Amino acid sequence: MPPRRKSTDQHELVERPSRKRPLPADDPYEIPDEDDAIPSAKRQRRQSQDGGTPSKGNATPRKQADFLHSDLASVPEEPESLTEQTPSKKRLGRPPKALIGGTPRGKPSTPSALRNSLVDDTPLKLRGLNGVDTPSRRGIADRSARRKSARALIDRVLEGAVSDDEDEEQQIAREIYESSEEEEDEENTQQQENLADEEADLAATTPSKTGRGRGGGRRRGRGGRPPGSATARRKKSPTPPRDLPPHEQYFYQNKPGSNKTSNNTLSSLDLLTHEEYFSLLRDEPGLQKDPHEEQIQTLQSHHIASFPQWAFELSQGFSVCLYGYGSKRRLLHQFAEYLSSSFSSSSSEEQNNKIIIINGHHRTLTIREILTTIALAVGGPTFRLPSGNPLAMIQNLFSLLSSSSSSSSPTPPSGSPKITLLFSSLDSPLSPTLRKPATQSLLAHLSSHPLISLACTVDTPDFPLLWDSSLRSSFNFAFHDCTTFAPFSGPVGPVGSETKTDEMDVISEVHELLGRMGKRAGGKEGVAFVLRSLPENARKLFGLIVGEVLVAFEEGGGSAGEFGGGESPGVEYRMLYNKAVEEFICSSEMAFRTLLKEFHDHQIITSHKDSIGTEYLSLPFRKEELESILEELMS
Amino acid sequence: MAESHDDNPALFEDDDNRAVYIFAPAGHGGSPQQEKARPVKRRKFTSKRASSSSAAAAAEVVREGEAEMERAQTTTAAAAAFPPLFGGKESVEAAALRRQVFDTAWPVLDGRIKNVLREANRTTLEDVSSFIRDAEGDTTRGTRIPAGFIITGPNIASQDLLFEQLSEALGKATQARFVRLRAAGVPNLKAALKKVIRDATAQVSSDGGGGGDGDEDAKVTFGRDGRKYLDYDLEGLHAFLSSQQDPLKRVIVAFEDSEAFESSLLTDLLALFHSWQGRIQFSVLFGIATSVELFQARLLKSTARQLFGAKFDVVQADLVLDNVFKSAIAGTQATLRLGPALLRNLLDRQRDQVAGIRVFISSIKYAYMCHFYANPLSVLLADEKSLTRQLLQPEHLQAVRTLDSFKAHVEAAVDARQLNHAQSLVEDDGYLVKQMVEQRQKKQDYLMQLLRSLHLLTSMDLVPSRFTDLYVSALAGGLDLTPTIDAIKRLGADDVPALINRLLAAIQTGNPDLDLPGWEDEAEDLISSLTEIRDEIEALAEQAREKGQQSLKSKFTAQSKILRTTVVAQKVQLSQDTAKLTEEDKAFGKTIDSLVDLLTHHIYSEPIDSLFLHQAWAYDAEAPYRDVFVPRPGTTFERALTRPHGYLGCECCSKTTGTLSATLPTTCILYQLYLETGSLVNVADLWSAYYALVGEDSDVGLGEREALVRFYRGLAELRLMGFVKQSRKKADHVAKVKWLL
Repeated sequence: MPPRRKSTDQHELVERPSRKRPLPADDPYEIPDEDDAIPSAKRQRRQSQDGGTPSKGNATPRKQADFLHSDLASVPEEPESLTEQTPSKKRLGRPPKALIGGTPRGKPSTPSALRNSLVDDTPLKLRGLNGVDTPSRRGIADRSARRKSARALIDRVLEGAVSDDEDEEQQIAREIYESSEEEEDEENTQQQENLADEEADLAATTPSKTGRGRGGGRRRGRGGRPPGSATARRKKSPTPPRDLPPHEQYFYQNKPGSNKTSNNTLSSLDLLTHEEYFSLLRDEPGLQKDPHEEQIQTLQSHHIASFPQWAFELSQGFSVCLYGYGSKRRLLHQFAEYLSSSFSSSSSEEQNNKIIIINGHHRTLTIREILTTIALAVGGPTFRLPSGNPLAMIQNLFSLLSSSSSSSSPTPPSGSPKITLLFSSLDSPLSPTLRKPATQSLLAHLSSHPLISLACTVDTPDFPLLWDSSLRSSFNFAFHDCTTFAPFSGPVGPVGSETKTDEMDVISEVHELLGRMGKRAGGKEGVAFVLRSLPENARKLFGLIVGEVLVAFEEGGGSAGEFGGGESPGVEYRMLYNKAVEEFICSSEMAFRTLLKEFHDHQIITSHKDSIGTEYLSLPFRKEELESILEELMS
Repeated sequence: MAESHDDNPALFEDDDNRAVYIFAPAGHGGSPQQEKARPVKRRKFTSKRASSSSAAAAAEVVREGEAEMERAQTTTAAAAAFPPLFGGKESVEAAALRRQVFDTAWPVLDGRIKNVLREANRTTLEDVSSFIRDAEGDTTRGTRIPAGFIITGPNIASQDLLFEQLSEALGKATQARFVRLRAAGVPNLKAALKKVIRDATAQVSSDGGGGGDGDEDAKVTFGRDGRKYLDYDLEGLHAFLSSQQDPLKRVIVAFEDSEAFESSLLTDLLALFHSWQGRIQFSVLFGIATSVELFQARLLKSTARQLFGAKFDVVQADLVLDNVFKSAIAGTQATLRLGPALLRNLLDRQRDQVAGIRVFISSIKYAYMCHFYANPLSVLLADEKSLTRQLLQPEHLQAVRTLDSFKAHVEAAVDARQLNHAQSLVEDDGYLVKQMVEQRQKKQDYLMQLLRSLHLLTSMDLVPSRFTDLYVSALAGGLDLTPTIDAIKRLGADDVPALINRLLAAIQTGNPDLDLPGWEDEAEDLISSLTEIRDEIEALAEQAREKGQQSLKSKFTAQSKILRTTVVAQKVQLSQDTAKLTEEDKAFGKTIDSLVDLLTHHIYSEPIDSLFLHQAWAYDAEAPYRDVFVPRPGTTFERALTRPHGYLGCECCSKTTGTLSATLPTTCILYQLYLETGSLVNVADLWSAYYALVGEDSDVGLGEREALVRFYRGLAELRLMGFVKQSRKKADHVAKVKWLL
């Protein structure tokens, strides 16, 4: 931002704080005063700020926020809220009040003004946004404001007697008088300057910050300080306030317009690929071993010491739930070993005690899969659980459990089959289904069976929210803090060693997070590989899509930023279908869908619907990648 | 994901690629190495736990041998012993005995609690079943659907139990099929119908005995005459019921949380049920948390007209809680006494967090588990037959001597000049054992005294207070009789005999809730004194009546003081006058005095921690309960991520409290940075901030690629913990999701 620009802007702001508003912004009594003042004020503001270019977007949301602000404050003379949007509203709003004592002039206009203002509301905004208006009307309004302030000042002097609050009013009148002079000056300089668009943009954002910062300063400075000394209190701390309580911080950070992040991207950085990641893991000595390896081991050993306790809890019908930071999967494995060793003390028990390990991180995990595995454990390999609705499956499973406990073993109490479910990451945010209430209630139902016990780990800090009190009582959880600090994707140890814990595919996770899904299918090489195994038609269709997407890239201005995270723009499904038919790639929509499904399965295509339901297809690759894919397809 | 794994086949075992699998232990089949490895691990950790490190080495040896024995024993005994305490020195027998005591103590209570719960809802269950049964023959009903409105109150956790019982009881009483619907499970009409049909048809297959033939049943359902029905077609249900030769064809549908159902869904369902009423006997039950009026207001009038309703009240959760408390915690059957602090905590949680009664029961159970699992002295609770002198090891005695209550006891003995007693306690093991055995009787006496006092106090019914509160405060600081005594003093001559009668009845019958038998034989002098006082008062009242006095007054009653207002020379004078008491009145006052003396003499209780050796039979630790049932994951995560050395105890990070340091684990660094960001996080900036901290110019000096690997991992972990999610607002940005941990 050029310093020149800033100084004018600040100047403006220095003055405004002392303009006072008697009432909150949405107060109906305010309205009479503002009849034709606001439009002009707005207009002036716009023009003064960005030299005629319309800069919208931040006007509306900020206004809302300010309204909120003033509502919250609810101090009657909270002045700062609207100062920015409607500078001269104040200028106009104040003088009549100052005049009330002297002349009755302000009053007669009230009814009509009330009517006006209601109608006026919308067009006013429009004009402000468009930034087109004749300067003459604004000038008139300004002049009238100044005139009124001048009159107020004169009245004051003539009257002589100055009471406390009157003093303030007087001051405001004086300010208005002075500020309008300045604004005129400012306007002049602006006309001379011809600012570039970009600078204007920046300028538009600046006042929102300074304006907010000024709020506190205004309050402090209320004790009749001369307006000239405002520079000191306007100073805004560059860092956001620290030590806010979390909820305050939430509101602070989610204020509209406060989301200022730099435009830096990772484009300069060569992102990791799977190959590089694993070769680094294998070769870098620093990555082989965690610096805290030893401490992590100690921590782990403490947890292992409570295995007997957990086993006891499980045997008493509790479900064990382990939470805390760090991967708990290895711990769970060791627990499984401990359990099986304690079971193996008697051979008949071992046969009946089955431990089933479930990895919640698997995206493909379904409740059905869990149920069939349990059925397999209970009924043996020959038994097949009739598939169907999961709830019905659970019913069948329970009857299977009760029947095998009563008939198959000679001594019922010890011979009854016991299933221990060790569920790692019961709350995995990566799994599409696991966090759904339906799944959780099925699991709760499952774990409430006396012959099934559940030990699970959870990874998110908000896991208690998954269960309402009735679910929780049927889970019957005993929670344990199991902070392990173990990495979720561990160092690569020797093959088959116990130390490896890979709960997630780090590279895919991060790339998905960054919206660079293309990396998941193995980049363009992956696509080429997939396409090679597909029929000719599919290849042609993919070529077509790539071509269309590239065209869309060109049309869309080519900047990747507009398409969120570097993903390609979408191509309309219907249009694509028509083209495909034209090129004899497919003859029916059915065939078209079949082809697309193949792409979907390999995650080399994504589709989404916009707000009116039109389906768009897009490719999770960057433009350069698409180009090289197309080249490869054509060759 | 599969593709990526293929690149590195060496990294992944088969198991890890599978989402669900049956665990096969590595050592299974007899790889001796594995077998060996496990005990070693455990040994190491037991020694860590041991309080004295010098004993640890010895303990290891002992434990090794014991582990073998323990294993040998478990093959014969069904219940495995607890892990030995005293740093592993506890004998296996003692540990097994602890387990045995627990195994016998808890089921007794469990049975009682179940009984209480059953009893609590029994009347409701009976009413509902008879309503459903009778509704059929009721001619006024017409074709309307019988509908039971069950006012359950807002506690949904206790609803679960109720509906479970309802489904059992109604299934038996009316041979109906019972379907439970919860709003979360049935979002729309189709889903609701599917569930109704599925549950109604499934129940028979599981009730019918053979679980294996459930499959065939299902086939019969939908295709006996070759026809297949859609699974949301009530026609199918009808066909199924016909095929079951079920003449009644009753189906009861329970809406557990009826407020949560959309009213349009309810309307549709009820209309449908109504139209099928001739073929299938539908009845509906609504669990209502608010009031029937509010519920009705949500229904269409036409729908409401299709219902033939009756309202049922359920015993409120508070009352159930009181009953459970009486039988499981206060009752004589309870082996273990829960201490006042823990009880207060439990009760508060019930009240504040509306936790269900089941959570309460679990908490009690957990307290039992903790006590017998972790307290070696709990072995003293075993019956005399199994608790032999050999079982008590020197460690037991040593443990007793370190108890606070032992110290207090010895100090009290010294103060009372019983020096021999004190000395023997400290020095003579045999004497101490004898004393410990004697304490068992003292404990019984104490409990009897406590319960009888409480029983008398509550049966007087003078001061409104809950039993639970009385019990807890009695344990904490002894019984406080002042409010009761004040109330007695204010009683009139007619009320006192009634009060005494109540007391006598209480002594005679005892309290079945507390499992407290009557104790007429032991309380002869109390009974005789009470009767004496009663007779005396009645005689006095008789005398007074003969003399024409309206009622007896005592010096305590409020009416005996008269406030006089006199106007003297335009000034108001207030004077208090004691009304004249007659002879009878004075005698009455004396009798009341003696009654109060008598009661204070008999109704008393000391705080539980004043008893020698109370640690063996009372459990009052709040911490395990709180940790296990009320987890605070937010704090845990926060602590782990901001002050990792608290967990790791490493040198390198111990100085960095809340500040950044390159030695911190990657995720912790990223979390610190994350805290400073706004709602949108630029990953590129995050990366450069991170790299600036750990990169080549810093102390740690990581190479770019290596740092990037760590960064990737940290970011992926943040995502896994749900801190960030994908954002489409800007390129290479992620959205912040958590503010409040």
